[in-house]
Amino acid sequence: MNRKKVIDIMRNNGILLVILLLIIVTGIFERNFLTFNNLLNVLRQVAVVGIVACGMTYCIIGGAFDLSVGSVVSLAGVITILSINNGTNEYLAVLYGLSAGVAVGIINGVLISLINGRTGEAFIVTYGMQVVVAAIALFPSRGLFISGRISPGFFKSMGEGVMPIVIFLGIAAFMEFVLVKTKYGRTMSFIGYNLDVAKMSGLNVKLNRISYFAISGLLAGLGGVVLCSRVTSSNPTAGLNFEMDVIAAVVVGGTQLSGGSGSVGRTVIGAVIIGIMGNALNILGITAYHQQIVKGMLILLAVGMDILNKQIKLKEMAHDKVFA
Amino acid sequence: MSEYVLEMKEITKIFPGVIALDNVSLQVTKGAIHALIGENGAGKSTLMKVLNGVYTATSGELFLEGQPLILHGVRDAQEKGISTIFQEFNLINTLSVAENIFLGRYQGKKTIDWKKTNKDAHNLLSSLGLDFDVTKPVGRFSTAERQLVEIAKALSYQAKIIVMDEPTSSLTKKEIELFFPIIQKLKDEGITVIYISHKLDEIFQICDVVSVMRDGKLVGESPVSEINREQVIELMVGRTMEAEFPPRTVTPGEKVLEVKHLSRGTTLSDISFDLHKGEILGIAGLVGAGRTELAEAIFGADPLDKGSIEIYGKPVSIRSTKEGKRNSIGMVTEDRKATGLVLDMSVTKNITITKLDAVKKGVVLRKQKEAAVADEYVEKLNIKTPSINQTLYNLSGGNQQKVVLSKWLFSNVEILILDEPTRGIDVGAKYEIYSLMNTLTEQGKSIIMISSELPEVLSMSDRLLVMHKGEIKGELRDGQMTADNVMQLVIE
Repeated sequence: MNRKKVIDIMRNNGILLVILLLIIVTGIFERNFLTFNNLLNVLRQVAVVGIVACGMTYCIIGGAFDLSVGSVVSLAGVITILSINNGTNEYLAVLYGLSAGVAVGIINGVLISLINGRTGEAFIVTYGMQVVVAAIALFPSRGLFISGRISPGFFKSMGEGVMPIVIFLGIAAFMEFVLVKTKYGRTMSFIGYNLDVAKMSGLNVKLNRISYFAISGLLAGLGGVVLCSRVTSSNPTAGLNFEMDVIAAVVVGGTQLSGGSGSVGRTVIGAVIIGIMGNALNILGITAYHQQIVKGMLILLAVGMDILNKQIKLKEMAHDKVFA
Repeated sequence: MSEYVLEMKEITKIFPGVIALDNVSLQVTKGAIHALIGENGAGKSTLMKVLNGVYTATSGELFLEGQPLILHGVRDAQEKGISTIFQEFNLINTLSVAENIFLGRYQGKKTIDWKKTNKDAHNLLSSLGLDFDVTKPVGRFSTAERQLVEIAKALSYQAKIIVMDEPTSSLTKKEIELFFPIIQKLKDEGITVIYISHKLDEIFQICDVVSVMRDGKLVGESPVSEINREQVIELMVGRTMEAEFPPRTVTPGEKVLEVKHLSRGTTLSDISFDLHKGEILGIAGLVGAGRTELAEAIFGADPLDKGSIEIYGKPVSIRSTKEGKRNSIGMVTEDRKATGLVLDMSVTKNITITKLDAVKKGVVLRKQKEAAVADEYVEKLNIKTPSINQTLYNLSGGNQQKVVLSKWLFSNVEILILDEPTRGIDVGAKYEIYSLMNTLTEQGKSIIMISSELPEVLSMSDRLLVMHKGEIKGELRDGQMTADNVMQLVIE
């Protein structure tokens, strides 16, 4: 391996290397850190963020953005728990929660399609939905925390043991397959890279884009359901600021905010990294406030590296222009 | 001191692969209204962009009032006395007239002295014999009035030369009559106007000198009083066309497409024509004539308001590009980088996107099938690329264009709309694309070719439609297809 290759690997996986270093250092100081149980625990903690981040990955690869996911997490949880408490069949209750998510997603998608919006418009529209949906989530319980009357069964099992991890990784694997191997995924990349080219290639841009928001809404709903199942209660503000953790996972994973290029698999890595980092910082006794600073810097670093890489790539291309 | 206010000496401008300006020398007399004309792509705009500081010439010199002139950008040119009024105005509609005129150069020391700003703006407009409310936002004024604001802005920079790019293109007849005296006024004050226009009548009406450009060269120059309209047209279009185009051999067959009374918004009105199997139907006209809009309406990118489209005699409804493709229509857009190709993606992925169903097995896209498709077109169209997995950034314009063509050939559409298919590609690649068009029509495909390069549409078309201001002004066949006839139809 020559020097250039080493530099390339450093460049493309810089953040991973930084985290790896953190893990090794923590592992040396703390014996409990690198244990199976601890790592399983971390995975369980990131599962909900991860599930929602998978949907967000589709949205971002498709050239959009979804800021409403946090509110959807709250809303889906409230709806599901309230339905169960009212004696609704638990399968139906879960379905209601998921449907609420899909509905919000479709509204997002239709609104953005109507105004032929790009990333900027998606930002504003979904932010508007975030505020509206957050308020709607407060109505049914008048803003109160609701304890779920949950008996063992389908709903309860969703949040138990390794189930959240299974759901998370299962969905991620399926979505990565769809992204890389199917017509739907290829179309998504095209639309994300350049909406106009996609349109002028005879692709149905509108319908496809609406579907990305619907999927993002669906998975945010699922995230809300799993979260409620884990804590056997619903908190109408559970999803507050949740979208930031979700976006952090996607960005740290390496999906480009400009659209087109990205991977659900890497989002999984991004979510796990953020989880492990939080855990390591906890074990090292760093306070929550300081952890926020580290998390913020990590996101800046990820975006910065992405931009730097692009510039270097463009420069290399200018050199390589042999075929011009 | 030189008698010329401006001298451009032996200006050459080379872009990668294209010589846009070839040793052009232009002298402009002080206080003259100097017309600069030529076909689209003749080099007028490039020459003017060298003059207003957008481009730096590859070689050659500029002299302003006998002094060597070196420009660092548009603002610098403006400050040195060269202002340009583009077709698209550089005005901010929500700001007042006075703010627009003094944008970025506010009067006053620490805070903006609005009184002085407004007074100065008012004085500038008064000098043109105009009385505007300078505190009203520019957006509330008509196009003609906004143009006058642009002129006042140029005057505020003490402009010695004002370049006007098609200044009357969006004015009504009446507005034009009011506009000419203003130009005369500028001339009386010793300001030189370089007047770019396609409207020959105007040039004979108000200009003093006319310079004609073609293919990046200055091909003629004369006082307007010593030249006539026919001579100007001859200078604009006259050129030899030996072996620049392969001969057409296909005889068009049955009717494939019929467009009836198509209208869309203000851009297209009552357009009817038909297209036959194996035919190349050319559409000529000036930029902004509605040619691209027509193509987009047929393809479904911008659906029509009124009218109908029939394919093989059957009425079809095309409301999206997807429906366009389903009805066997494909479109090669005029700007391949913005709307034709995803440059970040590989040759393969750009080609197969139009018909991914053909490279699937079950729901899974098969790499081998995709590669086979890409290999086929790389060979057939002689696409020069190091690999089919190469992203398109590194390919030349001609090879990129071949990828766009490949993607529509792969989708196997029967009607191909080619919008400026040879724009920005070199002569060799052009010839290959012309030959390909011949091969395709031999195989029974039909082509609509939109082009601003007259020789190209004249030589390649079996029939030629001439568009102007959203209408079809005429249809030319066989012997009628000459540059003169086209120019007569588009020049008012």
